[in-house]
Amino acid sequence: MRVVIVGGGIAGTTCAEELRKRDANAEITIISEEVHPLYSRVLLPHYIKGKVARERVFLKLEGWYEKQNIEWLPGERVQKMDGKNKFVELGSGRELPFDKLLLATGGQVKILPEDVRGVSYLSTLDDADHLIQLLSERKASDRAGIYGGGFIACEYLSIFSHFHIPTTMVFRSSHVWSRVFDSESGSLIEKQLKKQGVEVISEAVFEQLFGEKELEGFQTTKGKHLCQVLGVGIGTISDLSWIREGHIEVKTGIKTNEFLETNIPDVYAAGDSTEFFDVISGHHRLGGNWMNAQTQGRIVAQSMCGERALFRLVSSHAINVLGLEVIYIGDTDREWADKILVQGSVLEGGVAQLFLKNNRVIGATLVGRNRDRPKLTKMINEEIDVSDQ
Amino acid sequence: MSQYRIKVDPDLCIGAASCVTISPETFQLNEENKAYVLDHGTEPTERTYERVVEMDDSEKEQLIMAAQSCPTLAIFIYDESGTQIFPEV
Repeated sequence: MRVVIVGGGIAGTTCAEELRKRDANAEITIISEEVHPLYSRVLLPHYIKGKVARERVFLKLEGWYEKQNIEWLPGERVQKMDGKNKFVELGSGRELPFDKLLLATGGQVKILPEDVRGVSYLSTLDDADHLIQLLSERKASDRAGIYGGGFIACEYLSIFSHFHIPTTMVFRSSHVWSRVFDSESGSLIEKQLKKQGVEVISEAVFEQLFGEKELEGFQTTKGKHLCQVLGVGIGTISDLSWIREGHIEVKTGIKTNEFLETNIPDVYAAGDSTEFFDVISGHHRLGGNWMNAQTQGRIVAQSMCGERALFRLVSSHAINVLGLEVIYIGDTDREWADKILVQGSVLEGGVAQLFLKNNRVIGATLVGRNRDRPKLTKMINEEIDVSDQ
Repeated sequence: MSQYRIKVDPDLCIGAASCVTISPETFQLNEENKAYVLDHGTEPTERTYERVVEMDDSEKEQLIMAAQSCPTLAIFIYDESGTQIFPEV
């Protein structure tokens, strides 16, 4: 069996590892735009803060691929796929035939239309190295800026706070994480940010950067924000054009069924760029987190080896926002839910949102309410009817 | 059956809960959203981030998978001789 895996992140590498465990003879190739062996992106903030050494960020060493008899092509990009004739073509022109193909391309961070030294993104190990360099050069009077109001923006908050850098956080919406949170949850987070000394500016749209050689600040519709380092966290985007041209169904992500199979036989998808059918919530959705990606990689390997496996997982993600725990569980798509119940309040110091579909809880967010997590995870997983509760 | 010392570094743990999903009998989350260690679903002593647990080979395999799933590699496993078996060093 010849297996080609496009994407060397956690989904793709887990798939390769699991395949090798199951099939000693499979020919496995991983094509990765990333030049480093697999590392944990989730560990990057710990690395930047100096909590772990750089070498501890790596989950695989360079020699691992050879030892596992996996062909690893770092720094390579696929430019074309042909699902009918079963091959992919690399940027270098090399064609790789496959019996089974996994698309685990992940997402790339969205970037600002301009750049100057001092602007930081937080996606790759190289980004982390860059930010460490910027922070090492800072002066006592320097300020930090953050543009964006999601997970990455909150990672920057934690990093800048760790280094005691006064910070201004600026975002477009009326409150943080507006795609998922109600205003009460958003207000609780913002209260925490302000308590920790962060200047919070909402409903501000980026216009331009200031500074010729080094960053001096940035302009938004709300005014000029002075800073010497700017962390940008405005979401991710996936370039799926070559996949679409290969006649794979693509919507907001690569569309699959609950078995992570695309519309073309023997072509699977896994990880952040996958729009999978969630059997618990009953619709197609993206699920960009580590647990999803890793589990999906493993499931696909199992299916490739002839044991067709269903993907069913109540995944979650958690982040500590300057002392306040924020947790997502399951499907938190506001548009898909029939009803969203809000429990708690800013005054009580904790807010939970319960996303309901057909009288079942399919997802939840918790801000400052960790204690609800096991109970809600169980309710989602067991698909309990809550109509009489 | 062999004994394994299982340790969670609470400073590294971010509460991703992947270990809880894979090995709920060994890991659960506390009020601070950090994983603590159980012995086959029970807590024979007070709540702790470190515990020695006796396991057979299939339980050990499950344990390693739970530790591998942690995105911050916050779970450390040592064998009876004190050798760290995960993360591999």
